[in-house]
Amino acid sequence: MLKRLQIYEDRCTGCTSCQLVCSFAKEEYFSPALSRIMVDVQQEQARFRPRVCIQCAEAPCIETCPVGALSRDEATRAIRLDKGVCIGCRRCVEACPYAGVGFDEEQGLPLICDLCGGEPACVDVCRFPQAIRYAEEEGDNS
Amino acid sequence: MNTSYPGRVVRVNLSDNKIERQQLSSELLRAYLGGRGVGVRLLWDDVAPDVDPFDEGNALMFLPGVLTGTSTPCSGRTTVSAKGPATGQYLKTSVGGYLGIALKMAGVDAVVVQGIAEQPTVLVIDEQGGRLEPAGDTWGQGVKETTRRLKQRYGDDVEVACIGPAGEKLVRFAAVMTSVYNAAARGGIGAVMGSKRLKAIVIVPGRGGVRVHDPDRFSAAARQARELLYNDSVAPDLHKYGTARDVDILNELRLLPTRNFQRSALSGDAYNLSGRSWPKMGYLERIVSCGGCIYCCHRFTRVSSGPYAGTASGGPEYETVAAFGSGCGILELEPVLAANALCNDLGLDTISAGNVVQWAMETAEKGILTEDDLGGLKLSFGDAEGMLELLMMIGERRGVGDVLAEGVARAADKIGHDSHRWAVEARGLEQSNVELRGAYSYALAFAVNPRGPDHLHTECLAEFGGTNEGISLVEKLTGDKSLAVPDTEIGRAKIVRWHEDMYAVTDAVGMCAFSTTAAYSLDEHALAELVAAATGQEISGEELMKAGKRILTLERCFSLRHGLEPSCDDRVPRRMMEEIPQDVQKGEPMDRERLSRMLKEYYELHGWDPETGRPLRTELHRLGLDFAAEVAVGPCEKGGSR
Repeated sequence: MLKRLQIYEDRCTGCTSCQLVCSFAKEEYFSPALSRIMVDVQQEQARFRPRVCIQCAEAPCIETCPVGALSRDEATRAIRLDKGVCIGCRRCVEACPYAGVGFDEEQGLPLICDLCGGEPACVDVCRFPQAIRYAEEEGDNS
Repeated sequence: MNTSYPGRVVRVNLSDNKIERQQLSSELLRAYLGGRGVGVRLLWDDVAPDVDPFDEGNALMFLPGVLTGTSTPCSGRTTVSAKGPATGQYLKTSVGGYLGIALKMAGVDAVVVQGIAEQPTVLVIDEQGGRLEPAGDTWGQGVKETTRRLKQRYGDDVEVACIGPAGEKLVRFAAVMTSVYNAAARGGIGAVMGSKRLKAIVIVPGRGGVRVHDPDRFSAAARQARELLYNDSVAPDLHKYGTARDVDILNELRLLPTRNFQRSALSGDAYNLSGRSWPKMGYLERIVSCGGCIYCCHRFTRVSSGPYAGTASGGPEYETVAAFGSGCGILELEPVLAANALCNDLGLDTISAGNVVQWAMETAEKGILTEDDLGGLKLSFGDAEGMLELLMMIGERRGVGDVLAEGVARAADKIGHDSHRWAVEARGLEQSNVELRGAYSYALAFAVNPRGPDHLHTECLAEFGGTNEGISLVEKLTGDKSLAVPDTEIGRAKIVRWHEDMYAVTDAVGMCAFSTTAAYSLDEHALAELVAAATGQEISGEELMKAGKRILTLERCFSLRHGLEPSCDDRVPRRMMEEIPQDVQKGEPMDRERLSRMLKEYYELHGWDPETGRPLRTELHRLGLDFAAEVAVGPCEKGGSR
C-alpha cells in the first residue's frame, strides 16, 4: 500500500517548523509564505491547524484545472504542477476540500505538496508531536 | 552574499517620530554574532551612564538571533534588551513565541527604540519599513484584549509584542508579552516599554524570508543538530511534561523553594503541582511550542470547573509554579493557574511577582504589614485569594500595590523594620526559584549574573549530575566526573565559566538555552557549523565561545560603567547567605567566605582582577574591547587602548 501524509490536528503544537523546512526544501530559503504546508495558528486559544495536500483519491484539483497543469505522480501519488502551463486561476485552491492548496500571489502559482519525492521534509521536524506522519496506515497509531 | 543575519537595524525615535535604517558592519557581526551580542554592543554606544532606565535616552532593543527564522532546531528566540529598571544596570531578557521569526520574515535583524512618544503609540513593522500609529483604545487594556484589537486592526496573521497595564504603570517587574502568552519577563523590561509610551510592536508577515550562505551545508548541519537534540536524554520528558515536570521530585529532594525560601519543601505531596499530573487531572489542554522548536515544552492549561473555572492561559512554567505554589505555601494547582493567567494578562514577570507576594506574606505574618496597610487583606502563606488580590493591586498600583510594584528591595526600603532580611533579592532583582544553598554553581552564577540573581544567564544544570550528558560535561570541564554533584565548591568556577559563554552564544544565535545548557548534546562545534553554513563566516567552536566571553565581558563592563560595585553587588540574597531552610537539619548557608573563594577563582579564570572583580585591560584587549577600558584596571596592552 502506498504511503500518504496524515495530519493529526489535535497534536499540533504550532511550532511551524514544518513551514520553515518545507519552504527551504522547495525554494532554498525560509519563508512560511511559500510553504506547501500551511499552519493556521490561533494563539489565544492555542489552536493549530496544519493544512496540506493529503493525496486524496478523488483529487478534485486535477479535475477542476482548466488547462491540465496538474497531474498525479505515479510513484508517490503526489500532485505535480506544471508551472509553464498553469495560468494561476486558483480553481485548485478553491476545489480542495481539505484547504490543502496554498497560493503564492507574487508568482501567481498554487503551492501544492509534492512529498519531496517520497521523503517529506516536514515529517522529520514533527517527531515529538507526530502531528504529521507519512505512513501507509490511516488512523492513530501512537 | 546570502547570509541569515545581514545586520539590518530599524531605529525608531519616538520623541521626534523618526524611523531610520542602519546597517551593521561585518566586523561587528563577526565579533558579536547577533541577538544578545549585537544588543550589548549597541547599548554600550546608545545609552550613556547618567541615563535613567525611564529616560528617553534608554534604548529598548528587540534582537532575534543569527539562526532565527531558519530550520535550526529551537531557534525562535529573541533577546529584548535595555538598561534595566530593577538594577539600573545591564538587562537582557529572552523570549520565544513567534516574535523573532516574524521580525526576520519582515526583513529585520534588530529593532532599537529610543525616545518617549507624546501619546501612547504602536510601532508597525513590515517589509517596507516601519511606521508609528496611535495606540488608541488598546492603552489600558490587558494583553489578551490588546492582541485581539491589534489583530482586528492590522490582520489576523500579524505578530504582536505588547505590554499590559503593569508595563504602562511602570511596575519594575513588568514584562513584554508576545504571541499572547510568551514573556520577555525579567528586570522590568516591560516598564521600559511603558516609559516610552510604546504599547505594542506589530509585525506584518513578509515573503522575503531568510536565506543562508550554503543551503546544502546548512541543511546537513541542521539535520545533524536535530538528530543530536532528539536523542538527548532530557528531550522526551521536556516535551511530554514541560518545565514543571519535576516539581514533585524537587520537593522530595528538599530543593523546592517554599514560603519565601524559609523552607525547602512543602509539608504535603507536590504531585498536584508537577507537570506530570496535569494531563491526568485534566488541566493540560495542549502541548504548545515556540516558533521553530522541536521540543515543544510550553503548555496551554485550562480550569473547567470550580471557583477558578474559565481560567485559560499559556504555561505555567516551573518558575511560575514554584513562585505561586510552593513559594506562597499553596499546594493546589488551580490558584497557581489563576495567578499565572492574571500575570500573563497584566504583563507581569511571574518570578518577581511571586517573590514580592511571598515577601508581603512573610512581612504580614511578622505583623509588620497590617490588615490596614494591605487594604483589608488578612495575608498569610497559603492564602490563594489574598495572593490574587495582591497581584491585581500591584498590576494597577493600587494601595500597597504601589509600593510592592517597585520590587522587594525598594519595598523593604520603604517598609523598614529589618524587612531586607527576608527580601530575597540581589542588585534589586528578585531571585528565581532555585535552592542555592544546595547548588553551588548556581549560587556563583547568580552572584555574578549582570541582571541579578537568576538562572537565565548561566544555567548550570550539569552540576546536578542528572544526565550522562551533564556528567560528561563536568568531567570535560573539571577533569573529574565525581564533581557532578551540586554541594561542593570545587570546580564550580570552571563549570560556571563554560556555561556562561555557552549561554551567551546560545542567546546570540537565537536558540533556546534548553538546547545547549539543559540538553548538552549540541556542542559549540555543531553550533559553529550552523553559523558558518548560515552566514558564510567561517568560525570555529573555540572562536564562537570566545565571542560568548566577549559578549558577557562587555555586559560586565556596561554594568560597571553604570554603577556596578563588585564588592557589594556580586552576591546572592541575604537569606541564602545567612540562613538554612528551617526544615533541613544538615547543610550550611552559602556563607560569604565560601562565595568569596569561588568568586576569586571565577575572576581569575576570566582574566579579571581577583581582588576587585574588574576586567584587566590586557583581557579587554585580547577580546577586542579596548573601547571599554575606562572601567578596567591594570596596565594597558602595548599599543592597545587609549
